[in-house]
Amino acid sequence: MLPRSKRFSIVLLVIVIMTVTAAWKNREGQSSSLAVTFHHKVGGKDLVLFDETYTNAFNEPFSINKFRYYISNVEFVDKDGKKKILKDFYHLVDEADSASKRIIFNTSGLQQVVSIEFLLGVDSIKNTSGVQTGDLDPMKGMFWTWNSGYVYAKLEGQSDSSHAPLKYFNFDVGGYKPKENAVRKIKLNINIQSLPTRGIVIDVDVSKWFNAVHPIHINQTPICHQPGDLAMQLADNYATMFSIGEVKQ
Amino acid sequence: MKAIKAISLLLCLTLIGAGFIAVSKPKKLKFVVPKGWPKPLYDFKSNPLTQEGFELGRKLFYDERLSKDSTISCASCHQQFAAFTTYDHNLSHGFNNSLTTRNAPSLQNLAWQGDFMADGGINHLDLQPLAPMTAPNEMGESIESIIIKLKRDSSYRTMFKAAFGDGTINTQRITKALSQFMLMLVSSNSKYDKVMRGEDSFNLPQRLGYEIFQKKCNSCHTGPMFTDYSFRNNGIPLDKVLNDYGRMKITHDKNDSLKFRVPSLRNVAVTAPYGHDGRFFSLSNVMEHYRNKMTVGPTTDTLFKNRLPLSNFEIGQLTAFLYTLTDTSFLNNPLFAPLGYYTTPSFMHNH
Repeated sequence: MLPRSKRFSIVLLVIVIMTVTAAWKNREGQSSSLAVTFHHKVGGKDLVLFDETYTNAFNEPFSINKFRYYISNVEFVDKDGKKKILKDFYHLVDEADSASKRIIFNTSGLQQVVSIEFLLGVDSIKNTSGVQTGDLDPMKGMFWTWNSGYVYAKLEGQSDSSHAPLKYFNFDVGGYKPKENAVRKIKLNINIQSLPTRGIVIDVDVSKWFNAVHPIHINQTPICHQPGDLAMQLADNYATMFSIGEVKQ
Repeated sequence: MKAIKAISLLLCLTLIGAGFIAVSKPKKLKFVVPKGWPKPLYDFKSNPLTQEGFELGRKLFYDERLSKDSTISCASCHQQFAAFTTYDHNLSHGFNNSLTTRNAPSLQNLAWQGDFMADGGINHLDLQPLAPMTAPNEMGESIESIIIKLKRDSSYRTMFKAAFGDGTINTQRITKALSQFMLMLVSSNSKYDKVMRGEDSFNLPQRLGYEIFQKKCNSCHTGPMFTDYSFRNNGIPLDKVLNDYGRMKITHDKNDSLKFRVPSLRNVAVTAPYGHDGRFFSLSNVMEHYRNKMTVGPTTDTLFKNRLPLSNFEIGQLTAFLYTLTDTSFLNNPLFAPLGYYTTPSFMHNH
């Protein structure tokens, strides 16, 4: 048995070490990771699968059953202009899987992040080098087996304006070959001047699919399920659906 | 007592040793490029061939559980005795009385092929099996269900571990194992090959046929693969029901309308019916198409501007030559048959 004073000093030492470690960890935590949350909306309303009916810019009513897209090759730039590129990062965001809508990025080595850049889609190398694993596993249902290539983004639902069977509209967008490349680069600037940024929300407005660069009417083209002109137009449109929402400091 | 201790120590060591052997690396399998053949296109570094990987691929290839109702395996439409095409079927028979839109191609010398299908839509050998496994008019199954079925079978767990180091079963490993089996399907030992190697000689009709072949067929059916892998319209008119425009479906280019892959003529004597939709029942049907029946349209190959004139004599000699492309050592190689057979047994074909 140690004398009382010695026991006390050991306890004190342990407490001091724990406090210092925690503080150190906290400091690290602030600068070494960034949580990005994707907030899916249709115009001003939150996206709800199946049960909610929305209207696009052409007064066509629609509901949504599936909304998914690939984020890859993410690049961060900090206030000093230092870049960090996450190679071999492929993430499938799926409205039906809330965990997939929040990504915690390792941003160690960076100061305050001022911009985030990513590809919406999958680079051509992964489209042409066989069967992948993880989020790129063809089992995820984002792969065309008859005309090899990833589906980069899917927006599927029903609309009274659709003349397709069961009033479906299915926008499955992909394509990596030169004249039908539907990969789009997205760059978002984070406009804050103060403390290190710990988390950002990216607002994703589904209504842009129909009307941004090109007008896409459900009653004219309810189905896209191959690479080509329509897929490229949809990609041009949805490339505008991202904007920085809330910034957590 | 000491003896017992020594024996048990020895036993323990043996057991540990055996354990090491059991988890030892899979045995490398050598891929032999036949003399004078080009360099294979397949990237073997990304999927090194091993004895265990090959055996796993072979088991998967012959496993009917890969289909929705467990009646169709890869081998149902790719039978070894027919050079891995389907004997007698023009279009392949799929799940629930369905038909495909094309004739099953032979599976041979796949390491030299860059893209797959009659329209070239599939860009990697590893990706190829996913199409028939999931197509509703072929095996009609989902990858998820296939993985569930395989995981239930302890022999698969053991074989995946032996081939890949641990028991994980996923899409990538299934398709890599299937590729390992398919890559080994090399046919390079026909009479033609033996003649080229100086081990045999053509008889007169075969020699005359070879000379005609070099003049009239060789520019598309180029040796040693007997295809240049290009897509061409050889004047087969569109069938209104199948509505199959071939390569155009992939490229969306109207210049590719009705173009289909030039098939290899290796083992051609056993791969009837012929044509992308199997509309020709025999070699003489094919010859008749080339010389008389062909429809010359806007995208028909310029080589066929005047069709392909062939005399009866030439057809006879050509046919004699084509028979020299049959490689019985390939068709009867027990390595490519399910364990215990020398070729695909007929009971493995239910449709």
